[in-house]
Amino acid sequence: MKKIYLVILVLSFITINVKAQSVEDSLRDQITEMKDRINGIDERLMTSESDLSKLTKIKLSGYIQTQFDNFENKAVQPNNYFSLRRVRLKATYEAADGIKFVVQPDFSPSGFSLKDAYVVLNDHFIKSGMFKNSLSLTAGKFNRLNYEVEYSSSQRELPERSTVIRALYPGERALGFKLEVNPQSIPIKLQLGMFNGNDGGFTQFSDTTGKSANNNIENKDFDNFKDIMARATYSLKLGDFGGLDFGAHAYFGSLKSSTNATLHSDYTTVDSSKVGDAVKRNWFGAEFQLFADVLGGMSLKGEYITGKNAMLGGSKFANGSLLPNFQNNFAGYYVYLIKNIGSKNQFAFRYDYYDPNTDITGSDVKVVKYNGDASKKIGKLTSSKADLAYTTLTFAWHYYFDDNIRISLAYAIVQNEKVAKNTAGVGNLTESYTNPDGTTGVNDYSDVFKQNQLTIRLQAKF
Amino acid sequence: MKKFQTKKIAASIVIIAVAIISFAFINQERITVKGSDTMVILAQKWAEVYMKKNPNASIQVTGGGSGTGISALINGSTDICNASRKMKQTEIDKLKARYNTLGVEVPCAKDGITIYLHPTNKVKELTLKQLSDIFSGRIKNWKDVGGANAEIRLYGRENSSGTYVFFKDYVVKADYAPNCQTLPGTAAVVNAVKKDVNAIGYGGAAYSAGIEICKIKKDDKSPAYEANAETIKKNQYPITRYLYMYLRNRPTGAMKAYIDWILSPEGQSLVTEMGYFPVR
Repeated sequence: MKKIYLVILVLSFITINVKAQSVEDSLRDQITEMKDRINGIDERLMTSESDLSKLTKIKLSGYIQTQFDNFENKAVQPNNYFSLRRVRLKATYEAADGIKFVVQPDFSPSGFSLKDAYVVLNDHFIKSGMFKNSLSLTAGKFNRLNYEVEYSSSQRELPERSTVIRALYPGERALGFKLEVNPQSIPIKLQLGMFNGNDGGFTQFSDTTGKSANNNIENKDFDNFKDIMARATYSLKLGDFGGLDFGAHAYFGSLKSSTNATLHSDYTTVDSSKVGDAVKRNWFGAEFQLFADVLGGMSLKGEYITGKNAMLGGSKFANGSLLPNFQNNFAGYYVYLIKNIGSKNQFAFRYDYYDPNTDITGSDVKVVKYNGDASKKIGKLTSSKADLAYTTLTFAWHYYFDDNIRISLAYAIVQNEKVAKNTAGVGNLTESYTNPDGTTGVNDYSDVFKQNQLTIRLQAKF
Repeated sequence: MKKFQTKKIAASIVIIAVAIISFAFINQERITVKGSDTMVILAQKWAEVYMKKNPNASIQVTGGGSGTGISALINGSTDICNASRKMKQTEIDKLKARYNTLGVEVPCAKDGITIYLHPTNKVKELTLKQLSDIFSGRIKNWKDVGGANAEIRLYGRENSSGTYVFFKDYVVKADYAPNCQTLPGTAAVVNAVKKDVNAIGYGGAAYSAGIEICKIKKDDKSPAYEANAETIKKNQYPITRYLYMYLRNRPTGAMKAYIDWILSPEGQSLVTEMGYFPVR
């Protein structure tokens, strides 16, 4: 009997031991399996993280400006309409620390245009001293070097840029490159750029009645001349009061002459020139931006620009004479006053003046003396509407619904420079128009006629 | 060249001036504070004590990182931003564009960025150069800095963190090594280092309780210092920084009272209590 118990005991022990062994093996297997699974998840997570980190290098931003405009100038027909002023989508890819690619198209119901396409390379070579990591190179198509040009349309406190800026920098962007120095230890910024110089189109005479912009050859240079721009700004802190940024910029450009004479904006002086000569466009500007913490934020910004701009001649009159190039002395400025009211509201005011021809006054326009008699030998050009100065006074109120939505109401009071009256008491310069009912009317430039503009805009930004 | 319709303009200016003045005096009751995770425990303590003393005050504090706080200040979703780094010029430019101010910077505490190690790590002190080499990935093994023959495991903060930016700008001076694991908050960095014998991490001094702290030397020849009240006050500890509060405008009313209290001896005593270092 004892032997039987002993055998049962041994058998039980063996069975238990085998079972324990089997449980242990099974547990080990399970642990190994779990480890493999975790390793697998780890690997997948690392792949996902790697993919995700690539995606985080891409940033998408943009804005839509939809608006209603009402024009008081009866020559504008229709004089009120809805429009999509800007529809921008900006993609920024930070390929590595200090390397950035930017593409920004502008969409419109009829198509799209490329506003920005550039690469920025930040300096990693200067390791010490005041210029440590302060250099950057931008190449491609981007904003030209001017305060109001570089100030984003989504931030700007008035619907459009000042008249002088729109005249000098049509389309704002240009193809070329710029070098920027922005030392961390000194609040100074230096910019130097080189551009094709004809971006946004340049104005070319088209007929005997005046001038018209008919030449837009963006993305391809028209000549071998390159335009150079330089801008320097300095930021001064004014303690608790705020700060003052001030600076200057200069533009040195040329257009290739395709005719043999250049008429100056006094409509008297004619320089002979050869086809292929450089017709100079040079100007200088001084700017300031004062930021003051007075009952909330407030700023006063201004810029004055003066110099010589140019338009190309070349096309022929009916009599076969070549039209001359035209060089005009100009001056323009703007002053903004912007006041934040609480965190949701903002008021803005701008006084903006642009005189495209400082050599003659409004009363000289269309007067015989200034009708380009001296240029008869090469084709007769007459002073025109394009020589008149304009003053625009714009008020705007913005309501920031949140960080993304801004509702704006703006009213621009536009005033033209007056021309002289003839013996019949009518202005030397008039513009006829047809009303929607078929009747006609005349805008007489011997007086300030109604040409104000109301804009109601909704901006959505992301 | 011509005259303006001066009466119309004058009338418009008067109307606008009245509107501006009326709106400017609108009082603010509730204060929101957002930003630095390094400062969040201090900011919460300030708010808690202040609200006890001033039952009418309502102060809401959240973290998210200095970058997140500064973005919130710019987009108007917070009144005060806590930041463990200075605002960048690009951020000031955004503030200028939206609010026409340069912002107001209030240094409210000091901090020493502390290097956390596992208690079993043989390494007890490092130079700034060694730290830079470790976090940029040039040194990968503890034996290269006098430790065991083991791979160094790096823990740091996310790029929205002011501590991440400050440590990168002042210590690493290069890109972080790709294997540096980023964690949301200093507390997470401390926990990760506690569990990993070969780990090294960085963060605010206030989070260093219960973990090994590495002494830091400016260079080979300098003495090594630990982040404490004395070494930070004397500017001996090499990785010392200010902690800031940023506002859009000069504070008035309830906001001014709160900030004045933070800078008062009572507010600054809480700085010490919470493991930071006072500015005064």
